[in-house]
Amino acid sequence: MTRLRILCVAPAAVWVALFVFAPLAVVAAYSLLTRGAYGGLTPPWTLDSYERLADPLYLKILLRSFRIAGLTTLLCLVLGFPLALFLARSGPRKNLYLALLMLPFWTSFLIRMYAWIFLLRDTGLINSVLLGAGLIREPLRLLYNEGAVILGLVYGYLPFMVLPVYAALERLDPHLVEAAADLGARPFSTVLRVLLPLARPGIVAGAVLVFIPCLGAYLTPDLLGGGKTVMAGNLIQNQFTSARDWPFGAAASLALMALVMLPLGVLFRRGGERLL
Amino acid sequence: MRRREFGLTLAVLAGCRERRPRLNVFNWSEYVAPNTIPDFEAEFGVRVRYGTYESGEEMLAKVFSGNSGWDVAFPSNSLIEPMRREGLLAPLRHEWLPNLDHLEENLRRPPWDPGLSWCVPYMWGATGIAYRRSLEPAPHAWAGLWDERLRGRITMLDDPAEVLGACLKKLGWSVNSTDPEQLRRAGEEARAQKPLLRAYINAEVRDQLVAGDVLAAQLWATTAAQAIAESGELAFAYPAEGFPLYADNAVILRESRRVELAHRFLNYLLRPEVAAAAVRATRTATANATARRLLPESLRNDPVLYPPPEVLERGEWFEPMPAAAQRLRDRIWTEIRSA
Amino acid sequence: MSRLLAVYAAAAYAFLHLPLAILAVFSFNSSRFTVWEGLSLRWYRTAFGNAQLIEAAWNSLVIAALATVMATALGTLGAYGLIKRRSPAVAAGLYLSLVTPEIVTGISLLAFFRWLFRYAGLHLGMHTVVLAHVTFCLAYVVLVVLARLRTLDPSLEEAAMDLGATEWEAFLRVTLPALGPAVAAAGLLCFALSFDDYVITSLVAGVDSETLPMVIYAMGVSPVVNAVSTLIAFGLGVFILLAERLRRA
Repeated sequence: MTRLRILCVAPAAVWVALFVFAPLAVVAAYSLLTRGAYGGLTPPWTLDSYERLADPLYLKILLRSFRIAGLTTLLCLVLGFPLALFLARSGPRKNLYLALLMLPFWTSFLIRMYAWIFLLRDTGLINSVLLGAGLIREPLRLLYNEGAVILGLVYGYLPFMVLPVYAALERLDPHLVEAAADLGARPFSTVLRVLLPLARPGIVAGAVLVFIPCLGAYLTPDLLGGGKTVMAGNLIQNQFTSARDWPFGAAASLALMALVMLPLGVLFRRGGERLL
Repeated sequence: MRRREFGLTLAVLAGCRERRPRLNVFNWSEYVAPNTIPDFEAEFGVRVRYGTYESGEEMLAKVFSGNSGWDVAFPSNSLIEPMRREGLLAPLRHEWLPNLDHLEENLRRPPWDPGLSWCVPYMWGATGIAYRRSLEPAPHAWAGLWDERLRGRITMLDDPAEVLGACLKKLGWSVNSTDPEQLRRAGEEARAQKPLLRAYINAEVRDQLVAGDVLAAQLWATTAAQAIAESGELAFAYPAEGFPLYADNAVILRESRRVELAHRFLNYLLRPEVAAAAVRATRTATANATARRLLPESLRNDPVLYPPPEVLERGEWFEPMPAAAQRLRDRIWTEIRSA
Repeated sequence: MSRLLAVYAAAAYAFLHLPLAILAVFSFNSSRFTVWEGLSLRWYRTAFGNAQLIEAAWNSLVIAALATVMATALGTLGAYGLIKRRSPAVAAGLYLSLVTPEIVTGISLLAFFRWLFRYAGLHLGMHTVVLAHVTFCLAYVVLVVLARLRTLDPSLEEAAMDLGATEWEAFLRVTLPALGPAVAAAGLLCFALSFDDYVITSLVAGVDSETLPMVIYAMGVSPVVNAVSTLIAFGLGVFILLAERLRRA
């Protein structure tokens, strides 16, 4: 028993040690250094960067990020669950539908964002159609606001919810659903009472896979939010580019990661739920 | 036995491919003509690996290590001093750069490298206001971008140095100000403008200007020139209060092991025909005076790319920021964007 | 309910594919701006004539294929090992990898490679990109496969071993096939993540390893880029349909 287990875990363990822990240790070291005269890193070693984080401005950004990421996750769940269910029940055509699901995501993310810009613009497709049909008098402001950002994030992260939920649901015994129906349950309550609980590991995985990257997103808020919606990802990215303040960027990243790891840890320890 | 021979053959073939020397050049995208690199390769019998980047910081992050693999890069003038201090640049040997004489007068002793010991100016530009001709009155000053009538149809660049620079100029100060009070006031101006803005957006605004979504935008002269060439409904103004100037310079990285070949490349770029071809292809303003004389009339005296001297006088080169000022500016930028 | 689900799925697919369809339409637009001006193939001609683009596309494919194979193998085995017995260290590492913002992953790997290579005299290149891609894909694979592993009945493996199979055989013949859909899903996810990655790749790519997202980001809003993505989507679509046709045959 033990030898196989070790053999299986060993490659992943070595990989993680080398390419996750070691680089993050380097980032931790960066966060304790000071910004050089024109960027770069120099001694002295200091907690200065962390102290700078304790500022209402950054708290505001953090709260906004949590809010947007939370909304995105919820929407992905609501929109993605039925899709995952459909996929799990689609029988022999399963792989075809899966591949069709992933197809848009093999084209560049950036291009898809630009396509949404084209759709949502004042002179874009949606407004043109609505104006032409006489349904509205003036173009709707669909772009460069928080709503557009959330739309873009949901669009970008939907498969991250659908795939894990599908993987969990696929194994489901279809007789369970039949049994519930036989016992008189209506379809909707079948979903609530039977399917959702059984798909829980997938839902939890999906929620984590959507929520966390959303926190660190910066391209979508920049492109679809017009640079007017600052999320945690934008702040961090800014430090490594125009501000050239790597220590502060490193400190902000580690702080964000700690903030996310803590509730994850509590959630999983308390609920006995485990993701990994 | 067979395997050893096979291995030897592979090794020999691999060695053969490496015979032609290679130069790795890292440049901004769309900064050379289609034949610039192939012609260089053919004439000097070398291979050039030509990579491009979208932001100076991205380039800096890669070359900071000192073993990025690149030989030549094109930082903008405000990065020259920081890179030199960090020991990233190789000193230039003028005896290998006879074509330096072709440079524009005002760029032969530029403020960021008076002796041209570290860099060779390549292209330069300015930031101003691109707008639709139908706009009455036309915005000829930064203050025009604070116009209430244009609410929701104005954009600014997604760049703290540019936005704060415009605000500082509007208030009558230098774009390179490090004074906390001036910077604070500039931040207030930007925050006051934000409700009128559609977005903070860079070159992508070109599309929206052409389509009419946006009426006036803070934009680089070269991008504006490219847009105007494609649509006659657009115009560009150099703001009356003054505006920032920038120049992209060719440098040789200290890590390069092909310093002489890199010099040959820089000298090649300085040839008037080569520089002129680049301008014809990309619609940028070249630092090469002789090349400019070779350009067709429409490009040579394009008021967007080459404004008259009295306009140019109002321009101010970007300078590198000391740490404290940079930190303050960055914080103000974060405040502006999350307002 | 099946009918409802099917209708919903159709709508969802339409939503997902709409931007793609828009791009396809405008890739045939003769104007370079998003104002329709007439039918033209010029952008496709430009795309095929652009050596940098083709090389970048090839690099992306190679990197994505390598990274997918490696990450899926490492991750599936790792997930199996983890479910047999918890390993807090490995789990912590995988959590960390999930929680790290992309730019931090990129910067941390860049810093790590720089430091490492200074002593080895190596440079950034295709190999560093593949290593980076496997790193950020690994956690996703483990996650997806584990979610599935948990729904499996462990007694099946025990039964196989009672019948004389070794541990390894039990894994290969019983568990792995049952994991099929999860591994496939994880592989698809990996490929998409890797093929489309910009942030991390641009930081750790070397002189020789330009990928498609990097070139596309450089080109910006360009109809050539629309043409490229339409080609990719079309090619993949054909491939998928062919695979389905073969499977049914």
